[in-house]
Amino acid sequence: MNPVHHLDATSLMSHAAGVLPTAFAVVAATHLSVCAQCRAQLALAERIGGVLLGKQEPAATADHAREAMLELIKVPLPEKAAPSAPDRDHSDSLPAPLRPYFGESLSRLPWRFVAPGIRRVAAQREVSGGSLMLLSVAPGKSIPEHTHGKNEMTCILRGAYDDILGHFGPGDLADLDGETTHQPITSPGTPCICVAATDAPLRFKGWLVRTLQPLFNL
Amino acid sequence: MSASQVSETLDAHYWATQMQAVARARDAQSFMRIYDHFAPRLQRYLLGLVKSQAAAEELVQDAMLRVWARAESYDPARANLVTWIFRIARNLYVDRARSEPTWVDVQEGIEQLDAERTEFGMSSAESFNDEMQLLDAINSLPALQARLVRMSYLEAKSHSELADELSMPLGTIKSSLRRAFAKLQSAMRSAP
Repeated sequence: MNPVHHLDATSLMSHAAGVLPTAFAVVAATHLSVCAQCRAQLALAERIGGVLLGKQEPAATADHAREAMLELIKVPLPEKAAPSAPDRDHSDSLPAPLRPYFGESLSRLPWRFVAPGIRRVAAQREVSGGSLMLLSVAPGKSIPEHTHGKNEMTCILRGAYDDILGHFGPGDLADLDGETTHQPITSPGTPCICVAATDAPLRFKGWLVRTLQPLFNL
Repeated sequence: MSASQVSETLDAHYWATQMQAVARARDAQSFMRIYDHFAPRLQRYLLGLVKSQAAAEELVQDAMLRVWARAESYDPARANLVTWIFRIARNLYVDRARSEPTWVDVQEGIEQLDAERTEFGMSSAESFNDEMQLLDAINSLPALQARLVRMSYLEAKSHSELADELSMPLGTIKSSLRRAFAKLQSAMRSAP
């Protein structure tokens, strides 16, 4: 996987600072798990955090804190496996950052009908700062032209789509703000499955699709 | 290199050595030197994020205990100790502040990817003098850009919150931060 559409610098910095809302951070982490280029950028964004931490004016810590730490490090460490890199090759595995929210398996997702050719799974547990969902769109299907109230971040897991911003295939990330109007058309062949975070409902253009909007419930 | 840069570079090297003593020999004295230096800085940083003395103290303790417990996974070739500690504290902050109990493991899993290999010829390696170069670059940013970077990292302000607080359009906040990041990136690329 060699993604060509990446995280915006502002999202990278927010992620590094720990302020990207959870729904978006999960989509960003999904892309980061397959994009070495963005991981290198994130490393720089985290160095900025390190430098700022190093230059913080020391604050008084509680008197008992140091003694407590000395006691804590006397306790033998439990045997614990080092964190392993997420496996990337199993064809049915969801990327590691998605598993806490959607389970392990791509083929066993509880898809719900949204509209003909469009299915959706909401995150199993609530996340802060927006909604997190998986979307499956049938091949060769056009999603009505829409803008976003604020932000949308989408990472492709399977299949592909095209819009005014280009061709988006597996691993590619669309990091969009409220200014973007787009009309994705999925590629023929396989359904396009993606993980998406939004912090406001999509706004479809045209009276017909607007009346259909409640059905989409996005 | 100025005298202060030399001293910062030696500092970064010193902390890496202390951390290696912790990793190799579980050296409590080296660890407490790290604790005495970084815990008060973490306390200030975390107070800026959580706004509560008690909550910040608890996070400092958890972060430093993780530094102790996970010492073997610190690789001085990939990051300065202060960056590694920043990551630990930030991940724990997100984990606690948003009740995301798997956050730390997922983020550390992603970090592990580059421990195994480096793609695109890009390395996340951080040399000891990077810290000073980067600090100089941050200090050279135009005032607004530097302020936005600090508020974002040290006060946990989202870009929308920054826009509200500074009564500026969100687009201006984002374009200023994009320019800041590009400058810092270019400063680090041209670093010796």
